[in-house]
Amino acid sequence: MPHIHRPPIHWRSLGLSGEPDEAVDEAEFPEGADRAPLAVSRRQFGKLLGASIALATGQGCTGRTPEQILPYVHQPPTVTAGVPTTYATSMMLDGYATGLLVESHEGRPTKVEGNPEHPASLGAAGVFEQAHVLGLYDPDRARRPRRDGAEVGWRQVLDRLSAPRADHGAGLRLLLEPTSSPLVHALVTQARRRMPEMKVAFHAACDRGAPIEGARLAYGRLLAPQPDLRQAQVIVSLDADLLGTMPFRLRHARHFAARRRQGGRLYVVEAMMSVTGTMADNRLQRRSRDLPRLAAALALALGALPAELVTACARVAQGADGADETWARAVADDLRGRPPGTTLIIAGERQPAALHALAYALNERLGNVADMGSPLGFTAPAIPGPRDDGAQQTLAALAGDLRAGRVDTLVTIGGNPVYDAPVDLDFAALVRHVPDTLYAGLYENETARASRWFLPLSHGLESWGDGRAYDGTVSLQQPLIRPLYSSRSPSELLAALGGVRQPDGLTLLRASFPAGVDWEDALSRGFVDGTAEPPAQVHLTPAAVAQAMGALGPPAEGSTALEIGFYLSPTVHDGRFANNAWLQELPTPVGKLTWDNAALLAPRTAQQLGVSDGDRVQVTVAGRSVSAPALVIPGHAAGSVSLWLGYGRHGAERLAEGVGVSAYHLRTSAAPWFSDGQAVKIAGRHELAVTQRHWTMHGRPIALAATREVWRRDPKVAEAHRGVQPSFFGPPQRTPALRLADPSAGPQWAMAIDTSVCIGCNACMVACQAENNVLVVGKAGVLVSREMHWLRIDTYFQGTPEAPTVVHQPMLCQHCEHAPCEYVCPVNATVHSPDGLNEMVYNRCVGTRFCSNNCPYKVRRFNWFDWSERQAANQGVVRMQRNPAVTVRERGVMEKCSYCVQRIRRAEITAREQQREIARDEVVTACQQACPTGAIVFGSLNDEASRVAALRRDPRSYEVLHELGTRPRTTYLLRLDHPNPEVT
Amino acid sequence: MAGLFPPWSDTALRVCLCLMAGGAVGALAFPMVYARTPEGQDRENPLVQPVAFDHRHHVQDDGIDCRYCHTDVETAASAGMPATEVCMGCHAQIWERSPLLAPVRQSYFSGQPLRWNRVHDLPDFVYFDHSVHVRGGVGCVTCHGRVDRMAMVYQTAPLTMGWCLDCHRNPEGHRRPVDQVTSMTWIGGGTPPPGIAHFHEGRGVDSLTTCTACHR
Amino acid sequence: MKSAAASEPVLIGQPSDAELGDQLLAPVWTRLPRGFYIIMAIAGLLSLLLLALVTWTIWTGIGLWGNDIPVAWAFAIINFVWWIGIGHAGTFISAILLLLEQRWRTSINRFAEAMTLFAVVQAGMFPVLHLGRPWFLYWLFPYPAVMKVWPNFKSALPWDAAAVTTYATVSLLFWYLGLVPDLAALRDRAPGRVRRIVYGVFALGWRGSARHFQRYRIAYGLLAGLATPLVISVHSIVSADFAITQLPGWHSTIFPPYFVAGAIFSGFAMVLTLMIPVRKLYGVGNVVTMRHVENVCKMTLATGWVVIYSYACEFYLAWYGGETSEMYTMFHGWTTGPNAWVFWLSIACNMLVPQLFWSKRVRNNQWLVWVMSLAINVGMWSERFSIIVLSLQRDYLPSSWHGYRPTMVDWGILAGTIGLFTFLFMVFLRFVPFIPVQDMKELAAELRGSRASGTADDRKESA
Repeated sequence: MPHIHRPPIHWRSLGLSGEPDEAVDEAEFPEGADRAPLAVSRRQFGKLLGASIALATGQGCTGRTPEQILPYVHQPPTVTAGVPTTYATSMMLDGYATGLLVESHEGRPTKVEGNPEHPASLGAAGVFEQAHVLGLYDPDRARRPRRDGAEVGWRQVLDRLSAPRADHGAGLRLLLEPTSSPLVHALVTQARRRMPEMKVAFHAACDRGAPIEGARLAYGRLLAPQPDLRQAQVIVSLDADLLGTMPFRLRHARHFAARRRQGGRLYVVEAMMSVTGTMADNRLQRRSRDLPRLAAALALALGALPAELVTACARVAQGADGADETWARAVADDLRGRPPGTTLIIAGERQPAALHALAYALNERLGNVADMGSPLGFTAPAIPGPRDDGAQQTLAALAGDLRAGRVDTLVTIGGNPVYDAPVDLDFAALVRHVPDTLYAGLYENETARASRWFLPLSHGLESWGDGRAYDGTVSLQQPLIRPLYSSRSPSELLAALGGVRQPDGLTLLRASFPAGVDWEDALSRGFVDGTAEPPAQVHLTPAAVAQAMGALGPPAEGSTALEIGFYLSPTVHDGRFANNAWLQELPTPVGKLTWDNAALLAPRTAQQLGVSDGDRVQVTVAGRSVSAPALVIPGHAAGSVSLWLGYGRHGAERLAEGVGVSAYHLRTSAAPWFSDGQAVKIAGRHELAVTQRHWTMHGRPIALAATREVWRRDPKVAEAHRGVQPSFFGPPQRTPALRLADPSAGPQWAMAIDTSVCIGCNACMVACQAENNVLVVGKAGVLVSREMHWLRIDTYFQGTPEAPTVVHQPMLCQHCEHAPCEYVCPVNATVHSPDGLNEMVYNRCVGTRFCSNNCPYKVRRFNWFDWSERQAANQGVVRMQRNPAVTVRERGVMEKCSYCVQRIRRAEITAREQQREIARDEVVTACQQACPTGAIVFGSLNDEASRVAALRRDPRSYEVLHELGTRPRTTYLLRLDHPNPEVT
Repeated sequence: MAGLFPPWSDTALRVCLCLMAGGAVGALAFPMVYARTPEGQDRENPLVQPVAFDHRHHVQDDGIDCRYCHTDVETAASAGMPATEVCMGCHAQIWERSPLLAPVRQSYFSGQPLRWNRVHDLPDFVYFDHSVHVRGGVGCVTCHGRVDRMAMVYQTAPLTMGWCLDCHRNPEGHRRPVDQVTSMTWIGGGTPPPGIAHFHEGRGVDSLTTCTACHR
Repeated sequence: MKSAAASEPVLIGQPSDAELGDQLLAPVWTRLPRGFYIIMAIAGLLSLLLLALVTWTIWTGIGLWGNDIPVAWAFAIINFVWWIGIGHAGTFISAILLLLEQRWRTSINRFAEAMTLFAVVQAGMFPVLHLGRPWFLYWLFPYPAVMKVWPNFKSALPWDAAAVTTYATVSLLFWYLGLVPDLAALRDRAPGRVRRIVYGVFALGWRGSARHFQRYRIAYGLLAGLATPLVISVHSIVSADFAITQLPGWHSTIFPPYFVAGAIFSGFAMVLTLMIPVRKLYGVGNVVTMRHVENVCKMTLATGWVVIYSYACEFYLAWYGGETSEMYTMFHGWTTGPNAWVFWLSIACNMLVPQLFWSKRVRNNQWLVWVMSLAINVGMWSERFSIIVLSLQRDYLPSSWHGYRPTMVDWGILAGTIGLFTFLFMVFLRFVPFIPVQDMKELAAELRGSRASGTADDRKESA
């Protein structure tokens, strides 16, 4: 292994998390942090973590320079060398908190997992949560404050912020991201007390206002809908991506799966196929703008509604075609057929408030709205609505003030408004015209470049803070590491604005923390129990709803214009994760696109435009256009082109630079989510790095699926695809198979994956990447199909390209008992373990790749290059994230899923030391842990009572490519859908 | 053509051919032999340390147990190197002026760690766990030799994979009662912990010899 | 005089031993046309390119090639199979035809052997080069390691390594042993003391005594006997690299005979490619006659038909087996998938082109034959490409299907091996007689003898 000889770095000071960072001016420790990983070779770095001992020089291949050991001078009592500790904290996204448990190696956070107690997580962690830790180590993060490009000290910055103003803040504007944080709101109030004239605006790219506004229409006050999917036998999603992008998505996914296992039904109407759409039992493709029409039709079909509502709906429902009618009738029958309070109609945040109001009315009609325990409840929103003291203004109003020159100082904390503000506001120009602008962010991004002052923000894992889950549960954000760079937390900056000259996150948080609550307990659990908002008593006012619906009016008839839809990217969200290599290389759940953005369209639309994948398409909205490569998506609504937000960044983030195009260039404040537009084919092609290019199974029994009707008629569908294959050579000898049903043989590891509840959200992929040091290969690598993901999600479409059904099939090493890879390896580098693992021994591998050729599942990954040296994305401070329990693979060796063998062996060692057997469910693989729906189950087959053994006995259980007789240890459960036969 | 080759040419030719053959064999044999010598395994090679720490004195004269300094050996993968404060625990009182201990004091007061040279250096892809071995009754001396007799610590065991396997394939010969683990002079008697034996039942030792037991 | 249509004898005229010796040894010290050296220089440059690319690859990693997942094997293995296949004809001619006492083998066996040797040199390079970590190559050989682990003998690759090394050794010995008497002749006739000493050393003191000849014959016979099974075994083992897998398109029992036939087929094509220019350049038409060209053509045609039969079997079995994936791979993946044109190219070159050899007119048009031989070489390379790449492109799970595109490095290495092969071959032409003088003298003597006893066909042979 290559070694770079550099002076040693000491990790002592990293050990204690959450110590107030005393130094104000210099980054005393942090400079070392980003140099450290370069100072030692990859794997040695792991050893360094493992021993909490820093190494000075690497030991080269010659092995003559001895490695050095640097023990602590004063050993922190909390640290045992090489034994990781776990802390509870929270991640704030879109203003809401999700509880996390973060693993830390000697003060270095390495792996994020869900907090089982936290309502927003329930133990799961999605892609953004998993990738959170990589964001901390992003080498492109800002390192020090600047003014007009020149470095300045924090003292100056804080003085500037806390300087008293003669005008009581009249010329001061504060621009924040919407947040539920009690601390932040307290600090804003405090600042207001000092500067009563100051105004505050909240802006986020994804406007989550519609549902709450809808409640105001229906119930006369701002309320947040609290759907409870456990209670809903039938769910009708009107463009609502419950499982993908909506707050509480992890909780929803868990509850959705629980209900689906007992046979719920999900109707989805949407334009672009969302994660939720892929799980629909009945999915209807409609342009986003057609949804009010459809909802109205549904309302009429349901009937028994207040008269004024009926008339309003009748107007809106004009021009609903036959298909709409049949759909509405069928769905209405289905809904009416169920006992009251067992269904749920939910509208998406992309839809107008009126539609939400109507949805609430329909739920009332179906008796779904009651206090908790019913499918739909309402609480006060965790993100407080507009403040009554008139201090708050909208972004548009703020823009007005800027344009009018009423502002001399604009303080922006977080977000990236210059990049993602509605294009019609021309925010960049406005910001440049403000005499003095301060921007605080993680990166020196677009907004930073437009502002005079730049203030580095601390990462969530570096700073104290709080927030509330979607249901209002107060959650604590505790740092696991001192700030790597000279940065401050948002609360500290706000405090400075409030006049505090030595702000310190911890002190501020303690101060705002409600008295009488056990701080230690809250800190250790990550949230304050029982702080969820109580259910609100609501009384529908149909007139208001009717009026709002009426305002929507009948659809502009015959409008043949294409619809251009904007969607949050499933991988980089609104662009804030654009520099996160894991997320950029993560294939989108539908389309399997990496490192890019594309104009997504239906096969028919593509035909009309005469484009195929990769052809450039010019998309125009209201005279503004962008050019994006086309990507045909089966099941996309015809007459609509969808663009993901979050690409086309031009900040200081090197990975994000020039990846994709920015859909924000088309997005106006009038039409934030969809609007009419044109799309034309233009010259030129663009190579799209797609990881799965073939959508059909070519009639092969790979990912099985059946409807409940078929299943009821023939429950033996899967039977032909499991069990022992007849063989000339009789039963297998000396294979682990023989050890089955022999408890004394110890655990026999196996995995079962229920494709019925796999929503294809990719959480498992990122979790695997984080746990197993899976490296990133970049777009060039993906283009030549060299991505390193140990676990991929194959998504197959069946039926017509216009309205296909979907199966997600997580594909990882199947750990075959008769592994084809094993007998072809010339050097015994891949062999079978007595507990049934197909072991890959990197240090024995010579890289013939014979095993990959002979692997029918093609789950083996090869290190074509020394990725960790060659790919910028794997270098520098990023290496601090590496899991010390897993070897970082050298160039030229094969690698693959190991069933997280490091966790198995760890459990084995512990059990051995305690003179016991490994307990049931003691070993949890990273993918299983992350999965929000619990689709992945891992355990021992020798334990008859284990869940995996039970799932293997399930009639739905089958083996992929069973006919090859590889006897996989990873088995799947057939996907059962429950479509409504009435819907054609 | 007379005189083109003198009469001894044939002999010369034969000798050359023999030498070539011998050379070929030697070239193959040499590395295999060398890899089995102390030189090839870097054994018996005391490393100069920043502090002239003498195990003989601390173990034999003072009778300090291994675990006094290598505290984590029973609980963690790494045996642990003593923090400077551990040294100072005694040497603040005794030899507090000794020039030999200057580096220790310097480290203690400057906060800069001591830099020891690693003697037992396994390849980076080997995951050795001290605790499971110690709790399983494998004595320190078994792998580290008579450290109590070493002025400067050196590697005594080959630390080759083959050497590891000798024990992993048949652990029984190499285990002792847990209370004897740190003894440098134990010569039998007592019963080893049931740990491994208990894991043997029905399973043999293959759980110890499977690749991922050490390589992950 | 006979018309051109009639076949020429294996030896034209009745040269005396002295004449033969003069004619066949002369090239070693007569000056050759400039063209020869120009070609040699080009070949040399290509060899340097090869050196550079190999160094770069080992330094950086085989990511420089076009390989991907699923197409984890490509050019390296294709070139390996192709070159080692070419080598087979040499051994076939020198060993098997020797045991079958075919007189026409005599004048072409030496450079056929040389061709084998140099082809194996090219082939031997790739199993090392294609490894992810070539520096651990020795792990493929069984030796007492301190790690106490051994190679996996269930895998075909350790056997591959053994087969190739054996083949290289035997070919070298065989070639060199045959060379000894002529080296002695060179020693005796070479102008200048230095050359005489150099040739003398390599002649190992050959004096041409009866005892020498007797032992020489025994040794030669033994080596022939040793080499003969290798012709079969080596490529059978190579074919096992594919046949033992369960990959559609590889998983086929016909592979060993199929590969051996293909090897000899391509080998004879290469013999033609080399023989025709050489006999022109050196004006040795009287010893390497059109009869030889014709016979090689016939051999090519014969082996060509075995290959055609194998193709038929492969597709028939795929269809008869009825395994969906395999049928898809063979009938869609190969014929219409990405890079399918390479498959059709191989069909054209290997199935259609050789059929022209039915015509005697064609067989006697040496330049046409030469062009055809080139086509067959290309065709056989394409065949290996089809087997390896087209099968890997389309295996069991459509989700993992992916195409393949070679990089410039791939092409450069292929060109480089061709350059090195040519270079070595030309060096050989330059410094040793490429026609075994000794054996030719014997052949001449035999023909004289048979004329005396005068049987019809013999008379024809030496008219």
